[in-house]
Amino acid sequence: MSTNLETTNLKTDEMIINMGPQHPATHGVLRLILKLDGEIVRHVEPVIGHLHRAQEWQGQNRTLFQYQALIDRVDYLSGMFTSLAFAHACEQIDGCQIPPRAQYLRALVCEMNRISSHLLWLGTFLIDLGALFGFPFYPFREREKLLDLFEEIAGQRMMFNYIRIGGVQRDPKPSWFEKVRKFTAEFPDRIDEYEAIVTQNPIVLKRTKGVGILDKSVAMDYGVTGPSIRGSGINYDLRKTRPYGIYPELNFEIPLGQNQGDTWDRYMCRILEMRQSNNLINQCLDKMPEGEISGKKQIAGLRIKAGEGFSAIESPRGVLGCYVISNGSDKAYRIRWRNPSFCNLAVLPSLLIGRPISDIMAIFGSIDVILPDVDR
Amino acid sequence: MLANSAELFKFTRLTLIWLTLIFGSVWGACFIVGVLLPTLLLRACDNEIFALLAQICQYLTPLIAILVFIPINAMFMVLVERRGLALFTVRMGPNRVGPDGLLQTAADAVKLLFKEDIIPTGADAWLFTLAPIIFFAPSIFGSIPLLAAITGNNDLFAITNLPTGIFFIIAASSVPVVGIVMGGWASNNKYSLVGGLRSAAQAISYEIPLVLSLVTICYLNQSLNVVEIASRQTGGFLNWNIFGGGALNGLDKYLNALINGSSNANDILQAYYPSNQWILTVIAIAGLVVSTIIAFFMYITAACAEVNRIPFDLPEAESELVSGYNTEYSGIKFAIFFLAEFTNLFIVSSIATIMFLGAGNNPIPQFLIDYLFKNVTFIPQTINAITQALSPLINQIHLINPITFWSVVWMIVKTYSLVFFAVLVRGTLPRFKIDQLMDFGWKRLIPLSLLVFFIVIFAKGVINTNV
Repeated sequence: MSTNLETTNLKTDEMIINMGPQHPATHGVLRLILKLDGEIVRHVEPVIGHLHRAQEWQGQNRTLFQYQALIDRVDYLSGMFTSLAFAHACEQIDGCQIPPRAQYLRALVCEMNRISSHLLWLGTFLIDLGALFGFPFYPFREREKLLDLFEEIAGQRMMFNYIRIGGVQRDPKPSWFEKVRKFTAEFPDRIDEYEAIVTQNPIVLKRTKGVGILDKSVAMDYGVTGPSIRGSGINYDLRKTRPYGIYPELNFEIPLGQNQGDTWDRYMCRILEMRQSNNLINQCLDKMPEGEISGKKQIAGLRIKAGEGFSAIESPRGVLGCYVISNGSDKAYRIRWRNPSFCNLAVLPSLLIGRPISDIMAIFGSIDVILPDVDR
Repeated sequence: MLANSAELFKFTRLTLIWLTLIFGSVWGACFIVGVLLPTLLLRACDNEIFALLAQICQYLTPLIAILVFIPINAMFMVLVERRGLALFTVRMGPNRVGPDGLLQTAADAVKLLFKEDIIPTGADAWLFTLAPIIFFAPSIFGSIPLLAAITGNNDLFAITNLPTGIFFIIAASSVPVVGIVMGGWASNNKYSLVGGLRSAAQAISYEIPLVLSLVTICYLNQSLNVVEIASRQTGGFLNWNIFGGGALNGLDKYLNALINGSSNANDILQAYYPSNQWILTVIAIAGLVVSTIIAFFMYITAACAEVNRIPFDLPEAESELVSGYNTEYSGIKFAIFFLAEFTNLFIVSSIATIMFLGAGNNPIPQFLIDYLFKNVTFIPQTINAITQALSPLINQIHLINPITFWSVVWMIVKTYSLVFFAVLVRGTLPRFKIDQLMDFGWKRLIPLSLLVFFIVIFAKGVINTNV
């Protein structure tokens, strides 16, 4: 007797599960409405906005000088970059000259910030993969050193307010540069350490290889930027493709994903980028010129000329854009942010559909979304 | 010098203090129930009822020992886990409550006891309450047969010496999954439900390699009795089941004869491993040793899955399912889940110790000790003197039995080493995915365990026909 398995009357239902906004792995307050068939995701709907703080509106109702202190909150893990984007836009309007030392200091702190941001990503990504208490704290060891260095120059560990319109806030002491050199000297060994635990770990390979393949065309359609798109093999890094600051004077290569753009490639891309940034820090230190650190007086009534300016820089998460319209007063007329996390998050549903629950964390972790950056 | 040697020292100190605490209190409870109370009862009145009561007291000793042991041990293991992970991940770990964080878990336990006991809306209150009990109960009655093996078949614990001990333990260890599924279903929470179902799938898949690797050992020892399996592994690590379960007995005896300068060393070798069939014998012995080592690691892997440890902690995968089957639990019920989880870890470690690592037997062969201390006479002399001086005390009030004492000490060392290994694994490995977990279980572990079993059967047959 033959039984036809396909005609069994087993009734199965799809289950709607509400992941977040309070969930250990959604990195803050993302809410994902998942439709599950067993363990397979059939439909995803990200719900954002839980962390909306009206950053743009606040910028229009505060003086430029006041707003500078708020910008770091746009993306709290890469405050240097958000400050830099705003400063670039304002300087574009104002046309003020930025002294070379300030330029180098900006590049230096930005690359340091890139490392610290990637280190935090590494820790959380590994937590997402289930290495619950294991190595997350190794990256934090180095991140702590970086934050100490930031504290010394900016007085703050995360909300730096260091890069200002026209230059930077403080000139670091010579001893600070020595400390940075000490950090860069030992950092490659530390990355080797992480790679020794993670890179060839069979379970990590199983969890990441071939998971969450981000197609080149899909990535370009959604406007994905940063290591996520470079993991797919598209060489798009504003430091090279549309250089700003002193990046043309520095010598570096853009690391690209070697395979088809899966989670593993995005992981490897960020690891290589950390090494690259370390190299860039060393170059900045070597070439650091003497001189002024600010081309504009940092006073409470800071004004820029009337006009509009747009700047785009390469933040750890992708292209960070800032659009400013000024009418010549001490407040900006209009401010608009273009956030990398927002665009990168948009691609998430297309990556998740058809994958099991466990892959949600690997994929979501690998595109490195920061929720305040999404919601502003 | 290690960079974190100070932390390592603190960790060792903490372990020693807690172990003393655990085994002191267990011993105290056993002494009171098993020795002191019966003696007092018999002295008070010499009639039949009192004699019966005294006997009941003695029979209750194993139960009292377990009931005292489990909560304190779980507290200790949680602390070890947290401090151990802190060691591996360059952190400090809990070090505020009590001297150097010694009382952290005790404080946690008190906190959990006083927390509000919440039953969520829409939950099945009956099953919700029953689930932790079903999860916890097997760890009590499952560990009873182990007691006889752990204490070296002490008189007080001889009642727990079941002829089919390991069978009983395996049967008990497969019950907790019912509790997990029950809790997951009753919680009225989708994460819990997914966690519970995962747990069921996982437990079914990994029970097979777990049992098959234990069956291999039972076959080698021709016994299901844990005490007998333990006693067959006496006399040094070469006799342990992990090294072929008696395949190296001859080697052990040969080395013994060689070191003692005995003339019949070659005869012993000849008797155990006859030279006319030496190729076959060598292959058989190598097969046995390799198979049992594989069986040991298979057991460890399957046991990790069985007690939901990383890398197989899918039922409570924090980053996916919030906390899996125990998401909705709080207060005392959560504490019971927690307690049972760590007790299960301890039980699987002690099964591994008893079945593979020579139970409470000294890993160093006696002849080697004799040889090493041949010229240093004062150490054995001192030990002898102490034993002599204490023997009236031991005999009089059963204060401590040397056999039991050493047996327990070696059990502690071996079992907690395995526990520490589990902590190390937790500090190193990420989590599997559910489909990979199933693949690994059904496509790798089960065929491998069957293969090991067959190799052991044939190798044992070859050795038996030759000798």
